[in-house]
Formats: sequence, C-alpha cells, structure tokens
Amino acid sequence: MSRPSIRLIAWFALALFVLVAPGCRRRSAEVVEYKDLIPPPAEPLIKDAPEIGRHGGRFVLGETNGPKSFNGIMASETSSTDITDRLFAFLVEYNNATQQYEPGLAKSWEVAPDGITWTFHLRQGAAFSDGHPITAEDVLFTFSLVYDDSLHPSLQEMLEVSGEKFKVSAPDPYTVVINTVRPHTGLLDALCPQGLAILPKHVLEATYKSGNFAAAYNVSTPPDKLVTSGAWRLVQYVAGEKTVLGRNPYYYGFDKRNQRLPYLDELVYLVLPDQDAADLKFRAGGVDGVDDVKPENYRWYEDNQGSGKYRLYDLGAAQSTHILWFNLNKVQPGVRGRKPVPGKQIGEPFVDPVKYEWFNNAVFRRAVSMAIDRDAMIASVFFGYGEKNWSQATSSNKEWHSPDLIRHDYNPAEAKTLLAGLGFTDANGDGILEDRRGHQVTFTLKTNSSNTLRIAMGNFIRDDLAKVGIKMALTPIDFNTLITNMHQDFQYDAILLGFQSGVPPSPHNGQNVYRSTGESHNWFVRQQTPATPDEANIDRLLDELLTNQDRQAQKAALKEIENTINQQSWFIWLPILKMKLPVSTRFGNLQPSIMAHRIIWNIDRVFVKPVQR
Amino acid sequence: MRTYVLRRVLQTIPLLLGISLMTFLLLQLAPGDFLNQMAENPGISAETIEAMRVRFGLDKPWYIQYGIYLQNVILHFDFGQSFSRHQPVFEVLYEGFTNTLILAIAAAVVTWGLAVPLGMIAAVKQHSWIDRLLSLVAFVWLSIPEILSGLLLLMFAARTGWFPVGGMRSLDYDELDGISQFFDIAHHLVLPALVVGLIPLASRMRQMRGSLLDVLRLDYVTTARAKGLSERTVIIKHALRNALNPMITLFGYTLGALVSGSFIAEIIFSWPGLGRLTLDAILTQDQYLVMGAVLMASLVLIVGNLIADLLLAIADPRISYD
Repeated sequence: MSRPSIRLIAWFALALFVLVAPGCRRRSAEVVEYKDLIPPPAEPLIKDAPEIGRHGGRFVLGETNGPKSFNGIMASETSSTDITDRLFAFLVEYNNATQQYEPGLAKSWEVAPDGITWTFHLRQGAAFSDGHPITAEDVLFTFSLVYDDSLHPSLQEMLEVSGEKFKVSAPDPYTVVINTVRPHTGLLDALCPQGLAILPKHVLEATYKSGNFAAAYNVSTPPDKLVTSGAWRLVQYVAGEKTVLGRNPYYYGFDKRNQRLPYLDELVYLVLPDQDAADLKFRAGGVDGVDDVKPENYRWYEDNQGSGKYRLYDLGAAQSTHILWFNLNKVQPGVRGRKPVPGKQIGEPFVDPVKYEWFNNAVFRRAVSMAIDRDAMIASVFFGYGEKNWSQATSSNKEWHSPDLIRHDYNPAEAKTLLAGLGFTDANGDGILEDRRGHQVTFTLKTNSSNTLRIAMGNFIRDDLAKVGIKMALTPIDFNTLITNMHQDFQYDAILLGFQSGVPPSPHNGQNVYRSTGESHNWFVRQQTPATPDEANIDRLLDELLTNQDRQAQKAALKEIENTINQQSWFIWLPILKMKLPVSTRFGNLQPSIMAHRIIWNIDRVFVKPVQR
Repeated sequence: MRTYVLRRVLQTIPLLLGISLMTFLLLQLAPGDFLNQMAENPGISAETIEAMRVRFGLDKPWYIQYGIYLQNVILHFDFGQSFSRHQPVFEVLYEGFTNTLILAIAAAVVTWGLAVPLGMIAAVKQHSWIDRLLSLVAFVWLSIPEILSGLLLLMFAARTGWFPVGGMRSLDYDELDGISQFFDIAHHLVLPALVVGLIPLASRMRQMRGSLLDVLRLDYVTTARAKGLSERTVIIKHALRNALNPMITLFGYTLGALVSGSFIAEIIFSWPGLGRLTLDAILTQDQYLVMGAVLMASLVLIVGNLIADLLLAIADPRISYD
C-alpha cells in the first residue's frame, strides 16, 4: 500500500475517533436539589399515589409526532393534547386506573335536585405558573372561548346539550354554577382532561379581543409567555425534535407528605417518527417509554424482560375498535346545501339495488358475521395478542362494558344455513353463491391503506367468506378518500374501520354514532327520520342515557342500544388488540393505562426511584 | 455574465407560478381536505367541521382560494398559515429546512470526500484488487434500500453505544459549551450522513475513475511522465485538474437535489428536518404548508442548477454565457 493511502486511512481513523469520542463522555453527576420556596395554597389538592416519591430527575417519552399547538382549547389531535393536558388545570380530574372522577381545580361539586344546576367550588389559593390566582373569572373566560362560534373548537359539542349552550355564572370568585338547561349526564366528562382546559384570562383576554385567539399559545410562543394552570409549564420546544416541560412552581397538587408535585424536574417528549427506530432507541435506553409498540415485537419484550431494565405492562383490551358495516345509505332530500344525487331518486339506495336487497337483510349481515373465524384471526393477524369484542365499550372499560351482549360469533354451518334460507344457492357449481334471480353474491370491502392491521384483517375476512360462498374483494384506499366515501358520496359496498374512545370512555360522546341523525351512524348517516323502528328506539334510549341521573338506568339503556345493534348486525364487530407497553423500571408510581396518555396520565406523581447499591 | 444571471432569475418567476398552480390543482384533485381526519373521532360533529371549513376558507371554490393565496403572496409576501399549527408557513418550515440542509451538506461531504480520492485510487490501480473491492463495496451499498441500511446502522449504534440512536442533539445539548455543541451535532450526524451520502458514492466514484482514466491516456500526461516528473506530481498536478472538470458540473447539479434527497433517512434517524414535516402536511392536506414546502424545494433546485451552470463557466474557460 502506498504512502498516500496510509495517510488517508490515518486521517479517517482520527476523524472517526473525534466523532465517536463525545459518546464516551461522562455526563456530569451534578444535581440541583429542588427547593419549594412558594407557600402552599390554602386548599391544596392532595393526590393519592401508591408511593411517596422524591423530587428530581426526568422522564423521556418517545412519540411519533410532535405537538402542533399548546393552545388547550384549540388543540385537537393527541400529539398536542398529550402535552396541553399536562400544562393546564381541569375542574375535574379523571383517574385512568380506577376510571373514576376525582377533584381537580374544583375541590368539590354538587348537582341540585333539578338535575340541571351544578355548583363547583374552586380551590382557594390555586395559581397560574406566573403566580396570578386562578379564579372563577378564568373559568368563565374559558367557557366564553369555547362558546365563541367564530372559533368553534371541537370541545363545544361536549359542552352543549341538544345544541343548546349551558348558562355559566360565578356568584363569587371561588364558585362556578353551570346550568345545563336540560339534564346532561356527560357534563363531568367535558370538564376532565381532554375537555375544558382552564386558560389564564389575564394573559389571553387581549389576544382574544383582537381576534387572534386561534393562533395564541402556538408552538412558537416563547416559554415564559406561556402561562399555565396545570402541574407543568413549558421549558423548551424544538420543532420536530423535542418538547421539554418543567414543574409549575405554583401548582396546587401535593402528595400526602405535603411535598409539592410533580416530583420530576423535567418531562421530555422526544419525536421519534419511525416506530422501529423508536423501538431501538428504547432498547438502547435512550428513552424511558414509547407511546406504542408493534404487537409483533411484544414477544421480544416478554422474552427479554429478565434484564430488569424495563417492565412490559399489560394494558388490557384496546379501546379503539375494528368494525365492518354495509352501506345502507339512501338518497335524501338535500341537507345543508348538499344537492340530491343526479340520476338518483330520493329514497333510492346508493348501492346497486340488487346488493341493497342483501345488505338490508339482517339475516345476510348475521351470516357474514358468523362466517368470520375470529379466533384464527387473533392467532394470525394479532400474533395472539387480541380478544373478541362486541361493542365500543371494550372489556377494559370498567364502567360501561357489558360482558353478555348478543353476539354472532363464528359458526360457518349456521352461516351457510342462513344464506340457504335466503334462497342463495350455488347453481352453476363455481363455488360462489347466486341469489334467487341469479346474481352472484359478491361485494367489495374498503379500508384505509395506511393501516396494515386492517388490511390483514380484510384479507382474512375475504378467505373466510369464500368458504361460505361469498366472493369479497378487498380494496385498501387512501384514508381521505375513504372518509369521503363514507360521509359524502357513499360510493362503497362495505367498509372496515373503527372508532376511538374518548377519555373517559363514556358513551356520551358516542351520540353521533348511535343516533339516527348522527354523522357517524355509519351504515346510514344523517337520517331525516329513523329508517327503522329499531333505530327510532335507539334514539329514545339515547335520550334516556343522556338525561337519566341514575347510573344503573343509563347502563341498562346503553346495553339495550348495543344489543339492538348487534341483533341487527348493523355493525359487525371484529377482534381488538390486547395492548402491551414497555416502560423503564427506574421510576416509581407508574400506572400505564389503556386510555389516552397511557404512560403519562399520572406523570405528576411519577418519581425516580433511588438507586439500590 | 450579469445579464445571464438576471435572465435566469427572471425566468424563475413564471416557473414558480406554474409550480404553485400545479401543486394547488393536485391538492384540490386529491379527495377530501384537511378536515377529513376529524371524521374518525365520533365526538366532532358536522357543524364543527363546517365551521372550521369556513374559518380556513376551504368552503370557497379552488380558483378563488388560489386567487386569494396569490394575492397575499404578491401583495404581502404572506404564504398563508398552516391549518394544524396556526403558524405562518415559513415559520414552520424554516427550522426543518436548516436541519435538512445540515444533513444534506454532510452527506455531500461524505459522497465527494470519498468519491474523488477513491475514484483516483481505482483509476491509478486500474483492474487491481483494490479497484475491484472498491467497486464491489460501493455497488453493494447502492443496492441496499435506504430504509434498511438506516435501520442496520441504528442497530449498530444501539449495540455498540458508539453513536447515538437517532436524533440531532443530545438532551443536555443546551448545557454544553459551543465547541461541545458542535461535536454533539457532528456525532449525531455521522450515521445519517453515511446512509444518505454513500448511496450516490458508487456512481460518483465510477465517474471519477473513468474521467481520470480518460485524462491519463492523453498525450500531455505521457509528456509529463517523459519529462521525468514523479508519478504523484503527474496525477495530482496535471491529470486531476482536468479530470475534475466534469465532476464540477455533476456536483452543481446534486446541489439542487440536496434538500429532497434525505427524507427517508430523516424519518428513520428522527432528524428534525423537512421530511416528516412535508409528509405529514401532504397526508393531512395541510395545503398551504404543502405549497410552501414545494415552493421551497423548487427554489433550491432552481438555484442549484444555476450554480452548476456558473461553476462550469468558472472552471472551464471555453464556456461563457455572454
């Protein structure tokens, strides 16, 4: 080898050393002890947790997306609310572990016998991160933001009953009275995290009056200008990289030993767009938790748990579901400026009339449901980490789940009998059934192409249906096209999609699904009058659910709604994932939950465990 | 030369107009709009979505939307707001653009820093084992998809701990002094720059090799050798200068593709560049953000090509634009 190439190699070696060297650098062990210099409020919120922690340390969470806004009222997608729910206070807190309401900024509340007057008593001495007291004024201000029709945040519907806004007043600085006009059992849900985030009037009123509220508290707001009411405040935001939260020194939450919460110095959200890369980073110890792990990797985590570096938590059944439904939409007179469809009469179905005759028959839909081998689907598509599900209130929903709903599970023999009963026979012996008039029984299933799990499920269903003589074609399409198909032009036979549950996972925000006029009453949306007596009955039961104060009566109403839907097989329920999530074992008080903000819902109580020597 | 540059700059105006119109039309042709993603959430009603559509101006026909957009761009130099972030488009794009540029430049350094010397060695030692080995390694790397090589290098980083597993800065970045900050970024930069930079290496190296071989066959090289100059002087002082000429053109053109070349690597290495941002904007149909990103990438491409043409004129006295 000649001299120049030796020199070249030497240079490369040197460059490599210089670049690798920083990785070997030791992190300075210097820790600044946190001293709580601010006097505690008159009425602190004492938060319950399994262990008493100690101050210090940080938790790093890997997330696929960064936040898009820190505006607690305007932010709507999870990557933002994941953070805003930590930044702002809520009148009511929700405990993901017990699935019960707990006091928040409101130390207590009561509802008058009329069922519509709710009185909330605010905590005295609570303050924003700039020290300014939080009072009823701020609650009223936040309500006025939500009720502003030019802003129309998605939260507005949660704080309305049948389109009517609540009347909110403040008899004194620490009392808020909410008159819901009509009995409304979903009020507390709307006041929990993911609901009404209390914003500082003294900071935002001027912005609001100048008409710029939607852009207020966006990601370019300097951290010291972003005054918060919750346990945390913003320390740093680096686009596409990370968001760092620090403790709000004025937070009103304390542990049982009167130490101010949160325990951690910092909560870091690190953007890791690629799930496989995030997985590697977690395994290398670069993050303490990730928001999602692919089910095919669960086994690896189970097998390697012995290292003691992390624990794989079993979160139970997912609360986002997978359903299949047939298109029963009919042309209706134009609503909200939409013109009736050209070439179609009012009252005509959007699908081919031949297919409509099959789809509209509950027996056909039941036969399809019975043709699907859900156990085999769990074993293959879900890698064994799934369970059968028959309603939106899945088995991890402690409050609303009914284990004994009507179901039409796998029974291919019965499915064949049902189809034969409809007069479907395979006259020409090609393995595909024909109906009485000789039409081949075939349809197309659409699903969103970005979801590989659903595509796998669709393929599985196609094979199962072929076994009972139904020919199904699977068409994965772009999500936005799918949404247009299901809400606007109704160009589909059947769709495989799902619903996410809110937090708390109560049926009150499922109104759009159950009610016949609902936008998400997917099999036949926005009905002007209920299409069937059963749907009219569901509407009635829904009113009962929303207005009856008795929890047992509400549950009975929900169960009847779910049973009616299952009896009719309007929704054909498919298995759901049983989620697992690995989290570092360095921390105490972690209680990961299946519901939104899985690891960090109680992050204000999480602490770094002392290192055992 | 000055008139030439001026003419080229003026030509970009109708070009950018055309690009913006095409992008806008394509966005309109795609089904649905930004608000469709809310439909999976049953808690959001049609009224809310309608109200948002009006607020974003998406209820108007496309030509009126485009007209308003153009008017704002020309009169106020306002490129619109991102729907999801409630922020001006360039405020969103600026930081990502800088980071993408850092990665792209590092990748170019890798490509050219290796291609020129390795191509030289391959040419000088034509048909030797080192020539064959270099080609083999370069072509193997060329044929591995970016997504795989990226993940492989990440696994390497996770196993050895020699390099950080993705990201651009360590968490303690802000507590470091200036020099440590520089090395911190450089340390994070190594693997993604390798992934992006090694892909075009094979072709650049072969081009360098071929170009140098061509020159080495010319008479003046023989003359130089006959004069008794050392082989080193012959190659570096005489042959290389002329062999580099076509490479300069190539280098100029790669400048143009810089910004869009590293999107996949950015996502795998959690590099906070334009890649994820643009992809998200397209998927959610955050239309003005998409417009901004496309215009920015086009502008870089146009400027890159202009620089390439100018570099050529500077390097080769036989070319002039007047």
